[in-house]
Amino acid sequence: MMIEKRSPVKTVLLYIVLALLTVITLLPLLWMVSASFKLSSEVFSFPIKWIPETWHWENYVKIWQKINLATYTMNSFKLSIIITLIQLLTSSFAAYGFSKCRFPGRNVLFLAYVATIAIPWQVYMLPQYVMMQKMHLIDTHISIILLQSFTAFGVFLLRQFYITIPDELLEAARIDGLSEYGTFARIVLPLTKPAMATLTIMSFVTVWNDYMGPMIYFNSDRLKTIQLGIQLFVGQYSAEYGLIMATSVMAIIPVLVVFLAFQRFFVEGIASSGLKG
Amino acid sequence: MAQKKGSLKLRQSLIGYSFIAPNFLGFAIFILFPVIFTIILSVMNWDGFNAMTFAGFANFRAIFRDRVFKSAFWLTLLYVVFTVALTLLASLALACVLNRKIKGRDVFRSAIFFPYVASMIAIGAVWKQLFESNYGPINMALRAIGISNPPGWFASTDWAIWGVIVVAIWKFMGYYMLIYLAGLQDIPVQLYEAATLDGATGWQKFRKITLPMLTPSTFFVFMMLTINSFKSFDLIYALTMGGPGTSTTLLANYIYNQTFVYWDYGKSAAASIILFIIVLGVTIVQFRGEKKFTDYL
Amino acid sequence: MKKFIVLSLVALMAISSVFAGGPKEKAADNGVTTLTFAVWDYTQNAYLSKAIEAFEAANPDVKIEVQDSPAADYITKLNTQLNGGSDVDLFLIKEADKTKTFYDRGQLADLTPYVEAAGVDMSAYNGTDANFTFDGKLYAMPLRTDQYVLFYNKDLFDAAGVPYPDNDMTWAEFEELAGKLTQGEGATKKYGAYFHSWNACVQNWGVQDGKHSIMSGDYEFFKPYYEMVLRMQEAGSCMSFAQIQASGLSYTDVFSQGLAAMLPMGSWLIQTMASRTVSGETSVNWGVAVVPHAEDVPNGYTVGATTPICINNASAKKDAAWRFVEFISGPEGAQIMAENGQVPALVGEGYLETYAAAPGMPEGVMDGLYATHISPDRPAMDKVTQIDQMLLAEHQLILLGEQTVDEGIANMNRNYAEIMAE
Repeated sequence: MMIEKRSPVKTVLLYIVLALLTVITLLPLLWMVSASFKLSSEVFSFPIKWIPETWHWENYVKIWQKINLATYTMNSFKLSIIITLIQLLTSSFAAYGFSKCRFPGRNVLFLAYVATIAIPWQVYMLPQYVMMQKMHLIDTHISIILLQSFTAFGVFLLRQFYITIPDELLEAARIDGLSEYGTFARIVLPLTKPAMATLTIMSFVTVWNDYMGPMIYFNSDRLKTIQLGIQLFVGQYSAEYGLIMATSVMAIIPVLVVFLAFQRFFVEGIASSGLKG
Repeated sequence: MAQKKGSLKLRQSLIGYSFIAPNFLGFAIFILFPVIFTIILSVMNWDGFNAMTFAGFANFRAIFRDRVFKSAFWLTLLYVVFTVALTLLASLALACVLNRKIKGRDVFRSAIFFPYVASMIAIGAVWKQLFESNYGPINMALRAIGISNPPGWFASTDWAIWGVIVVAIWKFMGYYMLIYLAGLQDIPVQLYEAATLDGATGWQKFRKITLPMLTPSTFFVFMMLTINSFKSFDLIYALTMGGPGTSTTLLANYIYNQTFVYWDYGKSAAASIILFIIVLGVTIVQFRGEKKFTDYL
Repeated sequence: MKKFIVLSLVALMAISSVFAGGPKEKAADNGVTTLTFAVWDYTQNAYLSKAIEAFEAANPDVKIEVQDSPAADYITKLNTQLNGGSDVDLFLIKEADKTKTFYDRGQLADLTPYVEAAGVDMSAYNGTDANFTFDGKLYAMPLRTDQYVLFYNKDLFDAAGVPYPDNDMTWAEFEELAGKLTQGEGATKKYGAYFHSWNACVQNWGVQDGKHSIMSGDYEFFKPYYEMVLRMQEAGSCMSFAQIQASGLSYTDVFSQGLAAMLPMGSWLIQTMASRTVSGETSVNWGVAVVPHAEDVPNGYTVGATTPICINNASAKKDAAWRFVEFISGPEGAQIMAENGQVPALVGEGYLETYAAAPGMPEGVMDGLYATHISPDRPAMDKVTQIDQMLLAEHQLILLGEQTVDEGIANMNRNYAEIMAE
């Protein structure tokens, strides 16, 4: 297998580099946590005060009292989970079609998918909005679900993984009498768990952190998401940064949980062992 | 016989369409259609509300005459080249290292992914102070190693873009590391085992097995990085607001301003089309390369 | 495969449950007209809910449904809604200069007939309605006004042994005073003055005379003020632009942490400071004075912005909407605004007294709000946003020393011509 002897010097060096990187990447987390225990007037200072003078634990109580954080959290979960599921489902289907099936117009259609990623969302937001208005879907969760479930990103990502699966493998399955759908479900899906895990993390994070979409489409308080909730602490002339950061820290926990849960699919060697047994 | 072949082909096509149909329907209505609208918009005059009038290439002429667009265009190229190349290298290296069975792997992976989900306010606050020209830790360190006149970073028109590039790499490397991590799982272990038997060194295995086998992931990472470097405006918004002057105003910020600040829909559509054409070109080139890869498999 | 099927079913069920909810039903109108009113920061602006409450009590046949958005993106959302054909009836305009664009698109109802029929005396709005009058017709009612004033930290004045600013100071006197008030070094340094990083915080002093505006096109009149701020940065009597950018400090923090003795800023800060004083978040002893003026500009000339309220031209309920507009921009609304820490656009007996009597207000607020002329910071004209952004970019380069004042002004003039020629 891959286990190779490494010199201890190299190993130590590797850990030092990784530790340094970790410190730099986690600085904003430290800053967020520290700020979440401060009064808003203490959050910005020069230079940064990493340890609050007095710990304002009450920030974490206030955020649940001042805004409907429980509702917003539920809404964020609802949207993130539903959209991620639809993305996984439809994208994996489409990616299989684009990588392993032959039909006229395949390449042109795929080019259309990829090229649309290039257009910034802000630019076509208005026609989308008009469409949603005509469908009477403004101020509903369905609007955001419809708009964000069918992105080209998921199809593109999964297709890149499907094309690495040797055609001979699928051919063998077909000879064994599996239908095209059976081949997809029994051969391709199990082989691409890491790719599905990646898409799950990315889709969840994108929907969870989205602010502009819900901001434009949701008017009623009962529909708002956690990112909109954070904005309730930002006023035109002043912002309650302590509360913003407390909410942001809370909002980041589910994301990290999802990440930790799904990164376990990236275990060296396991997925590949099923191949060419 | 020929008829049978034809119906088989039709059947195959129908199966193919059935796979893409669920996604394509949603995609066509909610994304493709609005995007096509945007392409049309680029040759129209529109205030966003009343009827459009045909403008020909007036929008394109207007943006090419626009000083800010021209500067944004070249800045974006610089930003894209460095961000894409360096982020790609960093994410690949990190994925290779963090794919090994090392202690604390989950923690390192999460930490390196973290910048992607960190609050923009926090990123702005931390990096602005790290890069502060007089008392910031980065310049203190530079002075300590003998650079007596370190750059002004976000307070300097020449250096601000480099500061942005550093933060962009820092923010995105963990995200693309994920794609490489997933890609690494797809490489059959047997390939490495065979190579080890042949006495290949680690570097040789990386060059001859890992890198070629990761080609589809690299294509994806390269495309998404390029597109997102062209498109992402919120990082710059948090760090410099496009300043000082217009020294960090990239195409994405330009388009954002045209759309959300000036409400000039024709110009924002025209600027997006330029981006669209670039990406289309890169995609077609990628397709060619990918064909070679699938032949190689 | 099984897992996949289960997953699909779960997803389908989830989707159908969402669709079952369907869009929200509008309540049946049993003689009650419901108006949708777009606002921002609804919970922070108590005057809105109080005004709506009072209006609904007096007009039981009209119900106001508030649609609240985050301040930073309010105008983006409003713009999308108006363009997208949403059923907003009433709205405030946060960036008042955008009124012109809405007017150009025909999205604002002409209020002139209503004003005439109701006999509203527009002269009581101190000229702020001029910014919303196009082709001789009024398209928005002035609601509240903010103007630039001078905030000062009494503790720092006492420590330097300098008398508090009177309500008639020139910029030259201001600069000299800032030098006297600057104390200390490093992180605990107290600056004599603080100019926030906005271009308005320098360029306003050129606009203040009522003759020039940021749309003037020849920006030579900014010169003395850029020279003044650069001199002060050099002398260390105001915080440098580079440091303001790097620290991420807001002007509210700078002032309420006691880092600056004098801060020329909009009157909106009065309310924030008052509430921080009441809550104990700041212990600074502060006061408000009239903003300084140039030698040749009369005292009481300042810069400001008026927030207007408008009726959507596409609304089917314009008559009911006007009743609310008349109420909130009229004497009753003005009184409610004053009670809740806002300066109403309507000038009249007692509003400022009411405003100044709120808890946390320092003595002399009313005198500090003395104004004889308020120039709009961004006049409602075509391309004003583009020009403003352009001026901001050049502003940054001047204050960072990347270009001289003359170069900066030459660039402003050239860019103005290019933008307007398009």
